[in-house]
Amino acid sequence: MTTAPSFPRPAVSGAGAATDPAAGTPETLGPPPPARPAPSARGPGRRWLRAVVLAALVLATVAFVYPLLWLLSASFKPRAEVFDNRLVPRTFTLDNYVTVWQEAPLALWLGNTVVVTVLAAGLVTVSSALVAWGFAFFRFRGRGPLFGLVLATMMLPGAVTMIPTFLIWNQLGLVGTNVPLWAGNLFASAFYVFLLRQFFLGLPREPFEAARLDGANNWQMFWRIAVPLCRPALVLTFLFEAQASWTDLMRPLIYLQDSSTFTIPRGLKALIDQFGPGGESQWEVVVTASVITTLPMILLFFLGQRHFVEGVATTGSKG
Amino acid sequence: MVRRRGAAAAGTSMVVAALALTSCAQGTGDEGADVDFSADGSPSGELSVMGFGTGDEIGEVRYDRATQDLEGVDVRLAEGELDIQAFLSAVASGNPPDLVYANRDQIGTFASRDAILPLDECVDAEGVDLDAFVDTAVEQVTFDGSVYGIPEFNQVQVTMANADLLSAAGLTVDDVNGSDRDAVTAANEALMRTAGGTLSVIGFDSKLPEFLPLWAKAAGADLLSEDGRTAQLDAPEVVEALEWAVGIYDAQGGFPAVKTYRDSADFFGAGNQFATGVLGAMPMEQWYINVLNESSPDAPMAFDAVRTPGGDAIAFASGSAWAVPRGSENPAAACRFARLMTETDAWVQAAQARADARAQDGLVFTGVLTGNEEADEQIRADLVPDDAPQPWQDAIDAMYEANDATFALPANPADNEFETAWQDAVNRVLNGQQEPADALAQAQDEAQQALDDAWARWDEED
Amino acid sequence: MTTPVAPALPTPATGGSREAPVRRRRARPSPSERRERNAALRFISPWIVGFVVFTAWPILYSAYLSLTDYDVINDPTFVGLDNYREMAQDPKVALSLWNTLVYTVVQVPLYTVVALALALLLNQAARSAGFFRTAFFIPKMTPPVAVGVLLLLLFNGQYGIVNEVLSWVGIQGPSWTTDQDWIKPGLVLISLWTVGSAVIILLAALRNVPNDLYDAARVDGAGFWRRTRAVTVPMISGALFFVVVINTIAGFQMFTEAYSAYFGAGNSTYRNDTALFYVIYLFQEGFQELHMGYASALAWLLFVVIMLVTVVQLVVSRRLVYYEGEQR
Repeated sequence: MTTAPSFPRPAVSGAGAATDPAAGTPETLGPPPPARPAPSARGPGRRWLRAVVLAALVLATVAFVYPLLWLLSASFKPRAEVFDNRLVPRTFTLDNYVTVWQEAPLALWLGNTVVVTVLAAGLVTVSSALVAWGFAFFRFRGRGPLFGLVLATMMLPGAVTMIPTFLIWNQLGLVGTNVPLWAGNLFASAFYVFLLRQFFLGLPREPFEAARLDGANNWQMFWRIAVPLCRPALVLTFLFEAQASWTDLMRPLIYLQDSSTFTIPRGLKALIDQFGPGGESQWEVVVTASVITTLPMILLFFLGQRHFVEGVATTGSKG
Repeated sequence: MVRRRGAAAAGTSMVVAALALTSCAQGTGDEGADVDFSADGSPSGELSVMGFGTGDEIGEVRYDRATQDLEGVDVRLAEGELDIQAFLSAVASGNPPDLVYANRDQIGTFASRDAILPLDECVDAEGVDLDAFVDTAVEQVTFDGSVYGIPEFNQVQVTMANADLLSAAGLTVDDVNGSDRDAVTAANEALMRTAGGTLSVIGFDSKLPEFLPLWAKAAGADLLSEDGRTAQLDAPEVVEALEWAVGIYDAQGGFPAVKTYRDSADFFGAGNQFATGVLGAMPMEQWYINVLNESSPDAPMAFDAVRTPGGDAIAFASGSAWAVPRGSENPAAACRFARLMTETDAWVQAAQARADARAQDGLVFTGVLTGNEEADEQIRADLVPDDAPQPWQDAIDAMYEANDATFALPANPADNEFETAWQDAVNRVLNGQQEPADALAQAQDEAQQALDDAWARWDEED
Repeated sequence: MTTPVAPALPTPATGGSREAPVRRRRARPSPSERRERNAALRFISPWIVGFVVFTAWPILYSAYLSLTDYDVINDPTFVGLDNYREMAQDPKVALSLWNTLVYTVVQVPLYTVVALALALLLNQAARSAGFFRTAFFIPKMTPPVAVGVLLLLLFNGQYGIVNEVLSWVGIQGPSWTTDQDWIKPGLVLISLWTVGSAVIILLAALRNVPNDLYDAARVDGAGFWRRTRAVTVPMISGALFFVVVINTIAGFQMFTEAYSAYFGAGNSTYRNDTALFYVIYLFQEGFQELHMGYASALAWLLFVVIMLVTVVQLVVSRRLVYYEGEQR
């Protein structure tokens, strides 16, 4: 059982593969092609156009970035001012952070989430790399159909297997722990298998030929050569899955009952229930908790920016 | 074709293993294992409690007192209001908390799902005096002669109004206490204000969907028959009550507008709707008196009970209860904890603590409704003033008057589904999706269906 | 399904690369072939185990469960097709299916168009594209639960910034979070906030469109819209299709944002029918009401619906999507 990444996943094979010759050709995955130079400013008409484009982009940027700024700013406002929509708080206060820390075991929740995320992302990277290598390096009869099966599972809506999976974990007595949130990733995820296979297929031959002559076995070729060469792809896998795992709500809702085991999104939901519209209308608490939930993801993004952007571009172009 | 021999063998053995894992799709509940509520001497071990938070001094004092007495027990609170989904799935996975704090109107559903245990043995073992509790409270948690919860708290409704706004409109609290529906409608129009197309002052808030039973009963109709088996949601009085209550919202631009405005209010703070003069009147649970007293003692308030056309007080009682989940690992400690939290002494001590705190701040102690009659009387006699400054004296009087005039929905094993049925109906009407008569007719069908199913299961098990 | 063309990697057996493989049907695999296959399967085994335990078995089991009444606390009772019969009459099934359909049908095209518009803009911006691209992408990192919070706050009918901005242009915004007619539009709008990843995909595709095609079109006198329709859209149709399919599947499984904002313990009295999406209803039936059998039947219906929709999309794509190198 795998976490579905929130990013777009490649389309299924089948008809797609048949009509898309690109699916068959292994391509070396490199950085996206350099941006085509914009049409040169030919005369005043062009310049006007560019100004309009720039203005539109700036406007759009404001619309996209504003909500996050609003959230951040609201977390520093006392309750009465949360809704006043001023970007710079009239009364700047850190009280909300203190309150939220007291009202909820945030440190615990953050810790839980980090553990689950690192485990989930780490495990899926390792296992998907292994499986992807199996498909990329070796040739055997039935490889195509088997890989097709892998791709087909990407199309399966999680809801179909949700209940039996719960029952399996229930039988194992692991409901109520966070094990179901990451243990499924021991078994690789079709999406990352697909991604990593593409990377592996693009590796050059020489290092392997040389290693073969030196008497290296399969495992060594995987671990000593392929993996180091594909580090960017592995980092990408780790980051994608980290984001998916951190932000997942469905699984914590199903498997976590004791509030001390909550992950941060689950905890935020509990805070919404308690302090939100149905509860005590203490929006400042909810807002602050939202900031604490979101900030690590923003940080993660800035740390791995290049990987995220490239990775997303790649999944689309391989689709 | 895909896998040959070696791999195929591996494959099938894995399938077999997986099958073995889950082939036993058994129920996880233990079959009527004998639950021992009596701990000889002092209970020990762990006690995990779900759904209770200590919040204020009324909770804290009793909690401290209880944990002190339960010295050998490590009590853990999973704070936050009870999430039914979390609780039921915890029971289903064999991992329930040892003690659960639920609304009394959830107890029936839990009981009929076998998620909680009957507490008769517990009551005997701990010597809990059920007579000490408010009758309606105990009735709400009794099924088939067995008690499934120990009641805690009683909530009643009191009419609360902004005295300044009332007098400015030439009205008194009598016009908004529900005794004359037309008067309330008129008062609503007189009190509400709009500014630039949006609501700026809510006239009257009829508190739908929660308070429909109140309005129905005031008109003389019960939503559920006394034996708890027949839904009566489509009775004409109920339809009328719903139409009237919805009309109040419609006059103010519709329920969505009122709710949006209400949602953004500083409900628990000094900037609450009464203090800022943006709400005319509403019925509200009595604990809000305490909140108002504490956060905005100078707000111009007026209080009265909610009254029937005959002028009598009426209130729809609700509250919480302690229940022991099936599969609880420490039922003895759970039982004792429940007893300790709800006994007369505990309440009196807690009330004393609050009264002292209020006195220190120069505020009035407005009483507390504990669900325990004995405690209520004692608290009223010893701690509650009968010469408090207005408007708080009116509030106190209204509260106790209401407490003596409560009614509750009869206990039934499908209370959750029943509530869902009529609340959904009200929501549909509030959202303009259906007319009251149709909505309640649909709810009647759904509710009766749920009741029949639940009662059938219940009767079978006897 | 065709076996992919020879990988660039040498096979362990031969130590060298081969050209296009010759697929001959042989009676039995040779020892070296078997070795290779077993080695491969060793690497692939984690996935196989996972597939059997968490995919294949659950699918079968879920089919079985859908024919039972099971509340986990007690044993399952076989009830045949009762669940499916009940589903046919359950107004909430129709309601949630309708909600989900309406949402997806509105959201996907809108989302795609917005993504395309932004990508086109970025395509014109050359150097500063990187900065804007980052700005558009960052919201995608927001946990969906927090997105639900933002929905409740920014779209609040009385005080929210959205209505404030609308009032600048003279429109009186509705109560997005409480008015039954506007809750789904509110959800659609906030889904547009996370359009960043689609923008990046489309931008990458746009950049791959050869310049000479545009020049040729311009020489022929085609204006901007004509060029877009005749050159841009067909050339990026692969990526467009990808965005559409992915978002359709995601739309059908809408859960977290709506659940955070409109369902859960705190909202029990204000249940809102119009935000009852299919997966939310499934979740409630399974994990709240503990009607596991019924929920399994619901899951199967969802599966069938998604499969149908995806197949339709794939069929349509054969006609509309243009891949380089194909004869059209």
